[in-house]
Amino acid sequence: MMRRSSRWLGWTTAVLLAVTVVMGLWITPPDQVQGNLVRLLYIHPAIAWVALYVSFGTAVVAAGLYLWPRTRSLEMDRVSYCAMEISVVFIALTLVTGSIWGRPTWGVWWAWDARLTSTAILGVFEVAYLALRRANDDVEVRARRSAVFTLLTAINVPIIHFSVIWWKTLHQGASVLTATGSLNVHGTMLTTMLLSFVGFTTLFFWFLFRRVALESRRDARRTGELDSALEMRRREGVG
Amino acid sequence: MTTTEAADLRPEAPPPSKSRSTSRTVLVIVLLVVAVGALLSQGLLKSLNYFVTVDQAWTQRARLGTSTLRLEGVVEPGTIARTGQGASFYLDGSGTRRYFVTAQGSPPQLFQANIPVVVVGHFASKSSPDFLGSQIMVKHSSNYIAAHPGRVRAPNGTVR
Repeated sequence: MMRRSSRWLGWTTAVLLAVTVVMGLWITPPDQVQGNLVRLLYIHPAIAWVALYVSFGTAVVAAGLYLWPRTRSLEMDRVSYCAMEISVVFIALTLVTGSIWGRPTWGVWWAWDARLTSTAILGVFEVAYLALRRANDDVEVRARRSAVFTLLTAINVPIIHFSVIWWKTLHQGASVLTATGSLNVHGTMLTTMLLSFVGFTTLFFWFLFRRVALESRRDARRTGELDSALEMRRREGVG
Repeated sequence: MTTTEAADLRPEAPPPSKSRSTSRTVLVIVLLVVAVGALLSQGLLKSLNYFVTVDQAWTQRARLGTSTLRLEGVVEPGTIARTGQGASFYLDGSGTRRYFVTAQGSPPQLFQANIPVVVVGHFASKSSPDFLGSQIMVKHSSNYIAAHPGRVRAPNGTVR
């Protein structure tokens, strides 16, 4: 069942991203100011959306569910860990694609403004989370510390989101999730951008399904190896 | 052959190496604090506000003196002059507030009239309205508008 769902999700993602590529490269018009550079609009914001809200958000929710006594289980810890791992990749892609877009538009690869710096800080937090998980072998202690750490780092997300409103930044303001609720992208450009949001979101969930399944198999194998080692030791004792 | 009941030969769990794991955790946290501190000192603490607008510079002119800053405003149409070393133009604020900018280096691809820019540099002297820039950055808006909304697709598939 899970396998079939994962396969279905994979194909849906492939179709959505293929349509996004075709629309982004051939159907949508160039922008009045940015010309063809606007085509990065169909990649960068969607990747940032997944990095900050979808994958990191999933990690935060799963961490919260782990800490909540009624829903505490190692499965929640596993989901939180895998979502965080994927978020690290998407944060890196966010910074790289943003940099590629920034050079021809702003004129610089990087600017130490509030949006870029706070996003880089989230990336550092996420790498620290992965290091923290390797700092302890006790499964329960590791899960608890990781969950607390995840919830503490979540404070950075609203700072990133509102940084372009609270402070003067080189990074432009929101085009879709604006404070007034207005949409600042026109026609097929908006359709394609929203399509990319859906495509990258399903890509994340496909990654997550696969990654959690792999992690579950690894855990089961570790347990199986321990059990067989114990059995072998027991036989030696009997013999 | 007698059957012997298997003794419980499970290895005893080793005493938890709490001090080792705690020291690793502390090490991770210390490294994290150092990394975030470095990022903050480079980024947010120096520039929570990345630039000073022309209007702000106008009211704080005496305090700014000739210190290096990032000045933001809109490029005034008809004033751009490309020089061998860069470009010069008027940078507008609200009303009649404006500064004359002479910037070194090639401007970014999107540099043009009526676009907001951030110029890194300093005022020529404590009372001068001339701003000497070393770098121009374009601060484009979050509006995305089709360049040719009225264009049509020809039967052969080309766009005109």
